[in-house]
Amino acid sequence: MSPITEYALRLKNILVRIEKIIAGTSLLLLLAFTIIQVVARNLFDTGFPELDIISRHLVLFIAFMGAALVSETNKHIKIDILVAFLSFRQKQILFRPLLIASAIVCLLFAWLSTQFWTAEWDYSTAHERWTVLLALILPAGFITISLHFILLSITGISPDYKHTET
Amino acid sequence: MIIAVIILIALAVFGMPLFVVLAAGGLLASVSVGMDPVALIIESYRLASQPNLIAIPLFTFAGMTMAAGGAPQRLIKLFNALFGWLPGGLAIVTVISCAFFTAFTGASGVTIIALGGLLYPLLKQAHYPERFSLGLLTSSGSLGLLFPPSLAILLYGIISGVNIDELFLAGIIPGLVLLLLLSLYSYISAQKWQMQTQCFSFKELTDAIKCSFMDVLLPALIVTGIFGGFITITEAASLTAIYALLLETLVFRKINLFEELPGIITETTALVGSILIILGVAMGLTNLLIDSQLPMRLLSMLEGSISNQLQFLLLLNIFLLIVGAMMDIFSAIIVIVPLILPLALRYQIDPVHLGIIFLANLEIGYLTPPVGINLFIASQRFGKPIIDLFRAALPFLLIMLIWLLMVTYLPVMTTWWRP
Repeated sequence: MSPITEYALRLKNILVRIEKIIAGTSLLLLLAFTIIQVVARNLFDTGFPELDIISRHLVLFIAFMGAALVSETNKHIKIDILVAFLSFRQKQILFRPLLIASAIVCLLFAWLSTQFWTAEWDYSTAHERWTVLLALILPAGFITISLHFILLSITGISPDYKHTET
Repeated sequence: MIIAVIILIALAVFGMPLFVVLAAGGLLASVSVGMDPVALIIESYRLASQPNLIAIPLFTFAGMTMAAGGAPQRLIKLFNALFGWLPGGLAIVTVISCAFFTAFTGASGVTIIALGGLLYPLLKQAHYPERFSLGLLTSSGSLGLLFPPSLAILLYGIISGVNIDELFLAGIIPGLVLLLLLSLYSYISAQKWQMQTQCFSFKELTDAIKCSFMDVLLPALIVTGIFGGFITITEAASLTAIYALLLETLVFRKINLFEELPGIITETTALVGSILIILGVAMGLTNLLIDSQLPMRLLSMLEGSISNQLQFLLLLNIFLLIVGAMMDIFSAIIVIVPLILPLALRYQIDPVHLGIIFLANLEIGYLTPPVGINLFIASQRFGKPIIDLFRAALPFLLIMLIWLLMVTYLPVMTTWWRP
């Protein structure tokens, strides 16, 4: 194994660990916050709008970190109807260019998300800034997914790629 | 532009993740209409303003927890005690258990993995023909798609803006009719093969009820809560998730909080992430397509050759069956619904009825090559070639096609509850 591959694998493992922690914590927090809202609404006839805003953003955290975890194993939903007709060698040839192209598209989205986030930050009032901070998951998410595609293109073909299921 | 679209389609069919294809499509479309591509991100961020979206990770978590916690075994035991004594009883048990379970797991393949492994040996042991057993299990993997709290219905409601409670209500009769048709086929087949039946045991039934009462109570609570107007969809989702978690960790003690739960959470977030990322990037693209009047252009093209609702529905079925054979159900809902909905409204099709037609078609798509996910999962689970499984599933597919015609042309099945 080349030093670059070894370094990429190590980085991938660290990333996966961080993503699992963020995604898992987000899911548990989402569960806790929604339960608090149910109790507050039904027993005390009240609610916490801030918790509602955070809960909706937690869905974004779960979505992006979950998608990053899927990127790590290249098991995203695909309509790869022609892959079944390719040989393993042909699949290997296609593997890296597709990952690099995917990484470029995600990086473009990360860049657009940064522009969006900066504008939101500039135009938000002081008491809205905490919600804008939560929106940082957009650029961070796209960067993470992009990084996974790049790392996967370095570490090589995933054994799962032999199967063509979505 | 056309060349770029062709390249994108080529990349998609050769394995580029769908969300990347849609993201690239959004970038291309925004450049071609001279719009700032940042608008795509604004649309993605709208995910954070969808209150019902919270229900998706929570219901998925509940389903995953129940799958890992032994609910499949308990349900099979219960339905076997209830229906196992009938001719074809075990096949009927398969149909009902899979439908029940899929409603919670969202037809994500978990049903075939979790229940298939339990039921296949039982069916073999009871001397059901192998082809019948494989076909039954393969087609049963998506049966509960129309029952609450189906993930597909939730997603359709979010995308189309149709009331999710109404969609849940509309799916119940078509879902039950499909179970009835498949159970009838199993009954007739078992009689033809002169299958042995087991004796009804009241003791077995009471034992099974004791064992699975808490599991069966869950859908009853959800249905009563939502349709009784006591709780919202999101509240139902959070209560379902906490119920499933407490049930499996504290009551049945099947899941260890520190050893197994982290894995279940990771699986849940990965499944939810793979769906919601598509939704996030597709929102920008579909909005651009709608802004560019694509549905209206399609409509004007259709109006020349399609004069009535029946013709439109027939074409819709053919189109959706092709879509179902090419695309995964969640991507199809996200990409196709915004384009189809305005056309259907023009032909005066109730959006709730349309939703059930849409999902019924895609449910059949689970069984059709090249992307019929049930075929792939069953192939892995049972170690059989996809073509053999497709042949085995053909009789069930035919029954489902008859059912699809009923659902499509008898709107009363879905809108009976309207005043």
